[in-house]
Amino acid sequence: MALTLVLLLPFLGSLLAAFLPSNARNAEAWLAGAVALGATLIVLSLYPQVAAEGVLRMSIPWAPALGIDFSLRMDGFAWLFALLVTGMGTLVVVYARYYMSPTDPVPRFFAFFLAFMGAMLGIVLSGNLIQMAMFWELTSLASFMLIAYWHHRADARRGARMALVVTGAGGLALLGGVLLLGHIAGGYDLDTVLAAGEVIQAHPWYPLALGLIALGALTKSAQFPFHFWLPHAMAAPTPVSAYLHSATMVKAGVFLLARLWPVLAGTDAWFWIIGGAGLCTLVIAGYLAIFQQDMKGVLAYSTISHLGLITLLLGMNSPLALVAAVFHIFNHATFKASLFMAAGIVDHETGTRNLQRLSGLYRAMPITATLAMVAAAAMAGVPLLNGFLSKEMFFAETIFLDRPEWQRIVLPLAATLAGMFSVAYSLRFIHQVFFGPKAEGLPREPHEPSRWMLLPSGLLVTACVLVGILPELTIGPLLRIATDAILGAGAPAYSLAVWHGLNLPLAMSAAAMVGGAVLYRVFLWRTSETVPLLEAIDGKRIFDWLQLALTSRASWLIERLSPPRLQMQVLAIVAVALGGALLPVLTKGMSWGTRPTTPADPAFVLLWLIGGVCALAVAWQAKYHRLAALIFAGGAGLATSLTFVWLSAPDLALTQLAVEVVTTVLILLGLRWLPRRDERYAQVQGPGATTRLRRLRDVLLAAVAGLGLAGLAYAVLSRPDVDGISPFFIEQALPQGGGLNVVNVILVDFRGFDTFGEITVLGIVALTVFALLRRFRPAPESVPLPRQQRGPDDPDGLVFEPAADPAAKLPTGYLMLPAVLVRLLLPLALLASLFFLLRGHNAPGGGFVGGLILATALLLQYVVGGIVWVEAHLRIRPLTWMVLGLLSAAGAGIGAWLTGSPFLTSVAWHGELPLLGELHLSSVLLFDLGVYMLVVGATVLMLIAIAHQSLRAHHRKPSGGAA
Amino acid sequence: MEIVLALAIGTLAGSGIYLLLRPRTFQVIMGLSLLGYAVNLFIFGMGRLRSGAPPVIDPARGADPALYTDPVPQALVLTAIVIGFATTALFLVVLMASRGLNGTDHVDGREAEKQ
Amino acid sequence: MNWLQHLPILPVLVPLLAAALLLLPSETRRRRRAAMALAATVVQLVVAVVLLAMTDGRVPPAWGGEIGVYALGNWPAPFGIVLVVDRLAAIMLTLTAVLALATLVYSLARWERAGSHYLPLFQLLLMGLNGAFLTGDLFNLFVFFEVLLAASYGLVLHGSGATRVKAGMHYIAVNLVASLIFLIAAALIYGVTGTLNMAELAQRVARLDADGRTLFDVGAVLLGVVFLVKAGAWPLNFWLPRAYGAAAPPVAGVFAILTKVGVYALLRFATLLQDTGAPAPFGGDWLFYTGLVTIAAGSVGVLGAQRLSQVAGFLVIVSSGTLLAAFGFAGTTLTGPALYYLVSSVLASGAFFMVIEMAERDRKASADLLAVSFEAFGLQEKDSTEHPDEMGGVAIPAAMAFLGLVFFACVLLLTGLPPFSGFVGKFALIAAAIAVPPQAPLLHAGLFGAALLLSGLAGMIALSRLGIRVFWDSARPTPRLQWIEAGPVAVLVLLCLVLALDAGQSMAYFHAAAHSLHDAQAYVSAVLPVAGAGVAE
Repeated sequence: MALTLVLLLPFLGSLLAAFLPSNARNAEAWLAGAVALGATLIVLSLYPQVAAEGVLRMSIPWAPALGIDFSLRMDGFAWLFALLVTGMGTLVVVYARYYMSPTDPVPRFFAFFLAFMGAMLGIVLSGNLIQMAMFWELTSLASFMLIAYWHHRADARRGARMALVVTGAGGLALLGGVLLLGHIAGGYDLDTVLAAGEVIQAHPWYPLALGLIALGALTKSAQFPFHFWLPHAMAAPTPVSAYLHSATMVKAGVFLLARLWPVLAGTDAWFWIIGGAGLCTLVIAGYLAIFQQDMKGVLAYSTISHLGLITLLLGMNSPLALVAAVFHIFNHATFKASLFMAAGIVDHETGTRNLQRLSGLYRAMPITATLAMVAAAAMAGVPLLNGFLSKEMFFAETIFLDRPEWQRIVLPLAATLAGMFSVAYSLRFIHQVFFGPKAEGLPREPHEPSRWMLLPSGLLVTACVLVGILPELTIGPLLRIATDAILGAGAPAYSLAVWHGLNLPLAMSAAAMVGGAVLYRVFLWRTSETVPLLEAIDGKRIFDWLQLALTSRASWLIERLSPPRLQMQVLAIVAVALGGALLPVLTKGMSWGTRPTTPADPAFVLLWLIGGVCALAVAWQAKYHRLAALIFAGGAGLATSLTFVWLSAPDLALTQLAVEVVTTVLILLGLRWLPRRDERYAQVQGPGATTRLRRLRDVLLAAVAGLGLAGLAYAVLSRPDVDGISPFFIEQALPQGGGLNVVNVILVDFRGFDTFGEITVLGIVALTVFALLRRFRPAPESVPLPRQQRGPDDPDGLVFEPAADPAAKLPTGYLMLPAVLVRLLLPLALLASLFFLLRGHNAPGGGFVGGLILATALLLQYVVGGIVWVEAHLRIRPLTWMVLGLLSAAGAGIGAWLTGSPFLTSVAWHGELPLLGELHLSSVLLFDLGVYMLVVGATVLMLIAIAHQSLRAHHRKPSGGAA
Repeated sequence: MEIVLALAIGTLAGSGIYLLLRPRTFQVIMGLSLLGYAVNLFIFGMGRLRSGAPPVIDPARGADPALYTDPVPQALVLTAIVIGFATTALFLVVLMASRGLNGTDHVDGREAEKQ
Repeated sequence: MNWLQHLPILPVLVPLLAAALLLLPSETRRRRRAAMALAATVVQLVVAVVLLAMTDGRVPPAWGGEIGVYALGNWPAPFGIVLVVDRLAAIMLTLTAVLALATLVYSLARWERAGSHYLPLFQLLLMGLNGAFLTGDLFNLFVFFEVLLAASYGLVLHGSGATRVKAGMHYIAVNLVASLIFLIAAALIYGVTGTLNMAELAQRVARLDADGRTLFDVGAVLLGVVFLVKAGAWPLNFWLPRAYGAAAPPVAGVFAILTKVGVYALLRFATLLQDTGAPAPFGGDWLFYTGLVTIAAGSVGVLGAQRLSQVAGFLVIVSSGTLLAAFGFAGTTLTGPALYYLVSSVLASGAFFMVIEMAERDRKASADLLAVSFEAFGLQEKDSTEHPDEMGGVAIPAAMAFLGLVFFACVLLLTGLPPFSGFVGKFALIAAAIAVPPQAPLLHAGLFGAALLLSGLAGMIALSRLGIRVFWDSARPTPRLQWIEAGPVAVLVLLCLVLALDAGQSMAYFHAAAHSLHDAQAYVSAVLPVAGAGVAE
């Protein structure tokens, strides 16, 4: 219960904080402070329990199917860390209250601050690894938001992104790692995993899992070579740096390493990966820290270096080293946080953090200076301060390392060197800021800040001193339960004494002290602007360059991976389809069927010789002679419909023919709007070589595809008939479908639902065409009338034939005579179409053909009579027709519900009608009527939409006609 | 008969696909209609070929499936024809609009750079 | 008599009637038409939810057994066309309705006015989608594909304009070609097996002779290619990012589910044909590697894109690839998590398309160019250590704060970061994949996991870059939002959160769906009550 509360409190606080007004600085501070303090107190109150029972658990079932529950688990180690997170949080909140300026929108700050606290506690208290990985990412996100708190600053934005990308990527790697780990251990629960040490280390995936988890931990703890993000995270407000980037978040990595130490550590891989990274970081970062100009920069690199120290300790595969690591985690948090606070104070009071400009602040702010000095001393590892103790332990470990000889020599030397560095930068930090001549021309006149701002730093420094002098009484027991929690029974005996007698570690410390002092005195009295030896290496530049390279390469690549050209896409589709279709044939092989083939009729052959030539002609002519191409296509269509007649498909023939006519007319209407193009252009600029190649490629592909389809067709045509579903339709057409024309019965009854969808498509397309053309204006150069319509007196074709007079009985002009016929034709067409509609059920015909016939008639009216005249004479409401069509089709279907049977069940009525003979009236007829009306409506709607373009074009002309 | 029809389908499809791969909108629309013919014939052929046996029941001869050709593919072709008609019309209009808005009849809305 | 038996037809019928009626009142009567459209969509949502409950047995189903069959025209399968409602279909219906409702409400704020006939086309799109999810007949599936495609043509062109028409033309051309291939495939399958009913198909395939089987496989492969085009698998997806990027945002939002129709169809056929060994595109290594390549291509696109809408398009591709790879993975244990991922990613991308439109609204395009050149030349305002902190921060106006949060949530969802359902989905997928070996080579699990995590990383990199550019561009004006725009987006995101918090139950349901899906026999015997009915022996 208490556990849940600890975790929930910060998140609730964060929610609350987000909704306070943006100027409520005090309210926010009180809220955050209360939350943090409350959490701290709860954690403290849990100490006896943890000390007694060892581990507290709490679990709520979440996703059993995935083998994860929401579970919290607090042992000594987790407890110490939780205390660190909450306690440090409390102090930083107090500090932040005075640090943030009144103009800052603090709700955002405190909301994310508390959210981070919650996420961090989540990592610490998670009872299973997946949950831990979740909170892990959450801390990255929260830190992103906090670094970018002043998002109007470029460096803040970049720093935030760098941190997010690096730690986020690490988090993903970690997720992968724990997935493997959980799979190996047979469960993601922490206890399960911790119990499966041998299994894990024996498993073939162990190196992979280790690598991924190390990736996560090292990125998070800013270890070499992923360290570069941390210095840039310093763009964050100082409280954030003090809290996230020195005390807590960057410790998550080492926390994880320590957490999984029992199961992962002890192997060579572990030593080299973790220890190696730690050692490099320790030395390199220490070296870099010396040369920083920004106070926070120094602290950032020293943080990295100290994290390196901790990582190295963890990598040493020795329990005592682990103890030292945990101890140093705690110590580092105390002194580094207080140093950050000091830096913030200096920044706050003087307006700069530049070491070059700062000097002699001791007189102005003695208290700050004293605190900073003590903390810095702890960082340098001066005796009687906590830093000294853990550093001694570290030195001792490096000496007694259980490794080959040379490593036993290299390591202590490196350690001492790093010690020298840390002494040097600590000295520089203090000396340049607080001593020397009084600084001139600072942005602000320095003076002590308010007491409250000093309090947190003061408390931390006190902790440093107390721990440094009386380790056993203060930190001793806490450290013990923490280390016992990790090491269990195997926890080594150790003594936290200040004085271990004159021994090698002490000598190393002394060497580090002297060396560091000399280093500073001799080389760094006047530091150079840049870092000697390493100036080339600049994490930021490399990162930016990587980012840029990534983006540009990617956009270069994607242009090739998915080219924007339609031809490439169609090519890809055809090629893939062809290849895929060939695959089974080639792998399994196939032979023609055994069905006796019907003898080829020469007339039929001739028909298709013509048809084939037409098709090829279209392909040949479509570019330069559109009209010709259209006519040839018509020829091919004709051949198709004749084939239908030939092979006993009268309905198809009829429909194909009707469609043919309408389509052609529509295309003719549309042709007018395409740009002129004729052979002469082609002659002028003949196709280039690449064009020819491309054409050749396309010809080949097309040929192969065509042959393939032909092959498929023949393969099926030559197979014996299958006893499929078709006999049913033929047998039942009359008895159950009540119609003789089986095709029509299928269309309107057996598979009426298809037709239902099909007419919907027609309707949709009509709507689309209408919607599109309503907005559309033709291209200016195609506005002038086509040559055919121009009179002799208007060469440029911008004067039209005498505007059609709506009142006229007949359209005037050169189309007078045809118009007469066409007008007479209209009523006949109407009759014919109705006739086809009604007989459809028993003889070739049906609603669709009927509808098309009527539509064609209307179309002719337009072509011949001209829009103005036609619309003056007959009102057509295509939309209404369509709606009625759809409704009656749907109605015919719904009607069946009344008889309790499903949609589209036919309800029949037989009767005799004069002149049409025996007639079968039924819901089916209503359905077909719906088809009829919709076809008329849709076709006419499209026609009107297209035809009206010419009107538009002409109307545009008087108004300048400019595009 | 079968072989002729198959070859016809092949020819239509081949010319259609070639046109689909060309850069001018008009070529594409022509290609679509040719390919449409090919596909319709193909579907139709799936019912095997019979002449003189239209699937219109002759009450005198009765409804013996052996007497009539397979009606199902014909029904499918009818649907296909209608949908083909609709989509052709649509593409035609889009083609006009593209020509109007982009000032060219190239399928990519701009002339390909001459190499 | 029992009216509930007609429930399965409503998802098709309601939108059709709504569309028809929406054509009657003149376009100026916005309120009335909006009310009609909303009512229709809500009804669909209710119906879908009821069906969902029925297939799960929480509400007594209007039919016996888990799977509901509705024989249109009262013709028995395999002769007539049947609608089949199983768990998967119900999930897709509900998902469609939810997404549709959100995008519809959003579009009512402004986009509906961008052109004519938006609302009817929208309803007809829903009709097509629902029909495609419900139908149990191969050719009828084609018809409904056409319905939804035709409507989508109309919607993609909605608002017209040069870029839309250009992208739309490509979209249309590609899909017309795909439809022709579909026809060839369907016809071929009929010609070989003599049936169109999917259930009977599954039975007849087993009894084909060698040649017949080969021909059938050719047909099936072609069918698979068509579905892959719809699903946006590489290299059949060049059109997708541009079409989605050019379409009006709410349209793009509802299109988030279009690619999943292809995935659905693939899955449906794959499971029906699994017993007789489904050919290449329907499963196995082919599908798996296609998925991986698609993920890779999509991620490259995500990294390279310079505009958020493009990124969104490529993210759709990535999610499709993820699903394809998951279904191609050996064993059936990935299906459940994959369905979970599908739902979450559809909701997320839907919300994303809308939120980026709101965020980029009234923002100067020049800002982008500036930012690009800044990045290109590594220029930045030089950072110094001289930041007197008193300069203070910049308060973020409420609208921006809201957009920022929702955008952030979408990013988490789409890149699979905690705490949203995106994370749960990816985690479940990878966990399942790791657990599959030894049935599948370990390599596959590794590639799969790597692909998922890396694609997430790519998304994070790109979106943090562009997101910062859009949201922290200090020069930008605050967009004006309306509640009916903000509301739906927020709801979609919250749904994803619920999906994550309730991962236990939802995951269980998806597992059940996967299980019944892989039990093809149940489907067959539900559609053809008498085992092997209609097979004239």
